[in-house]
Amino acid sequence: MMMNSGSSSGGGGSSGGGRTSWPSTTSPSGKRIQKELKELDSHPPPLSSAGPIADSLNHWLATFLGPPGTPYEGGIFFLDILFPNEYPFKPPKVMFKTRIYHCNVDSSGNVNLDILKDGWSPALTISKVLLAIRSIFLNPDPYNALVPPIAHLYQVDRKRHDELAAAWTHRFAK
Amino acid sequence: MVSDSIINASIPNVSKDFGKKKRANRSAKLKQCKLDARREQWLSQVKNKNCKEEMNVPVVVSSGGGGGGQFNGPVIETRKKVAKCCNDLKVQSPRVEEINHHDSDSESSPSNSPTSSISRENDSGTTYTGSSSSSTSSFSSRGGCFSGSISEEEDGNGDEDEDDGCLDDWEAAADALVGAPDANQGHYQNANLFPERETTVGLSSGAQHPSCENVDAQVEILKSDRVGILGRGSENGRAWRPDDAFRPQSLPNLEKQRSFPSGAERLQGFTNPWGRNTTPRVPTSCPICCEDLDLTDSSFLPCPCGFHLCLFCHKRILEADARCPGCRKEYASEPLEKEASVSGGSLTIRLARSCSMSCSRV
Repeated sequence: MMMNSGSSSGGGGSSGGGRTSWPSTTSPSGKRIQKELKELDSHPPPLSSAGPIADSLNHWLATFLGPPGTPYEGGIFFLDILFPNEYPFKPPKVMFKTRIYHCNVDSSGNVNLDILKDGWSPALTISKVLLAIRSIFLNPDPYNALVPPIAHLYQVDRKRHDELAAAWTHRFAK
Repeated sequence: MVSDSIINASIPNVSKDFGKKKRANRSAKLKQCKLDARREQWLSQVKNKNCKEEMNVPVVVSSGGGGGGQFNGPVIETRKKVAKCCNDLKVQSPRVEEINHHDSDSESSPSNSPTSSISRENDSGTTYTGSSSSSTSSFSSRGGCFSGSISEEEDGNGDEDEDDGCLDDWEAAADALVGAPDANQGHYQNANLFPERETTVGLSSGAQHPSCENVDAQVEILKSDRVGILGRGSENGRAWRPDDAFRPQSLPNLEKQRSFPSGAERLQGFTNPWGRNTTPRVPTSCPICCEDLDLTDSSFLPCPCGFHLCLFCHKRILEADARCPGCRKEYASEPLEKEASVSGGSLTIRLARSCSMSCSRV
């Protein structure tokens, strides 16, 4: 529900400016986002990078390299990160821009990740979010699946699932 | 020359000239102390010209010191007294001064370049440390001449005929030092006992000798010397500041004991790393909004998990899901009961303000 509204507003791209209900909260979140950017520069998470697109600090692009040993190996995955104006009190909205065969990522790129919804804490940072996303690359969570068929295949026929995932990776992420 | 007038003058008349000589002696001593104490750092700061001028001063003074040998009756006895009153550790420092003194006297005049004479002084320092404290290299000699600066002129006056007794004491001191477990500790003791020694000089000279005014004046000058040296000492501290890692442990104690301002500076310097150690425990900025935490915020612990955050973020979280960002548990039930969240927030703010006021008063 929250995720749905997030995705719809995230589709607008510049939704940060579109919302008028939080007029003056950009500066505190801006400071926080800048600090996170510095942190990411000094301690980048493994196999990933992230940074703001163009002028807006609220709109980032993250890049993931498919972890070795997984069917996503060799792929490059792009993610959109949108910081709401009430960040960090509200979680950032993370969307896959690259199609991926994964039970926790639906066809429009929404990620089913606990810490991006109810599990969010203002103490979490974007680098921890990136770590969590990396962990679902390594270990998909079929019990909280956005795409049940993929989750079912993952549980029933892991080999077939991996072949399909590798095929998608080769097709979309290279 | 000053020395000639001193030689020709009789003892009672000497007092004024003696004062002059002492003053000259004092300046020379200051220079030497500086040279010994600062070494390379000092060299880098002072230009060659200044250095030459200062190197010339000890030559004049050495002749004065030789001429003053006829005056050495009371002074020598004072020195004996000192040597007896003080323990062996203390005696070493005059000896160091003596060594340095002679070296600079005999050799600095032909060699005009400051570096050569200083290297020679380094040599004397190392021989001294080689005999007494083999473990600490140049710093022990530095500390020794620093603390033993007063007795230098006494030795300079009396070294013609009284060297033997001093040498015995000195050798005993060297033995004691070698036997001592830690040379630095020895210097530290030396530094601690130093004021006592000054008082013994004053007392013994005043009690025993007829020309007590002279001696008292001398002691006065010595004290003023000490003050001047203290100034140098604080300067040294500043010069050594970047190389704090190389400082011997005895030197900060010396400065702390003698000059309060530089000691305070040094203390401040010591508290800074301590402050740095505490920063991980209490963050300096709010982990949520990254604004700086003031005293109120940093003493504000809304959750038993110990997660720090500023009051604004806390209030905002209370308005929303009221869970601690650190442990994700709901904040303690009391503020929730009192809540209607806004009043709870204002209550905490009021409490915190009073807290900060009391803190600032303290």
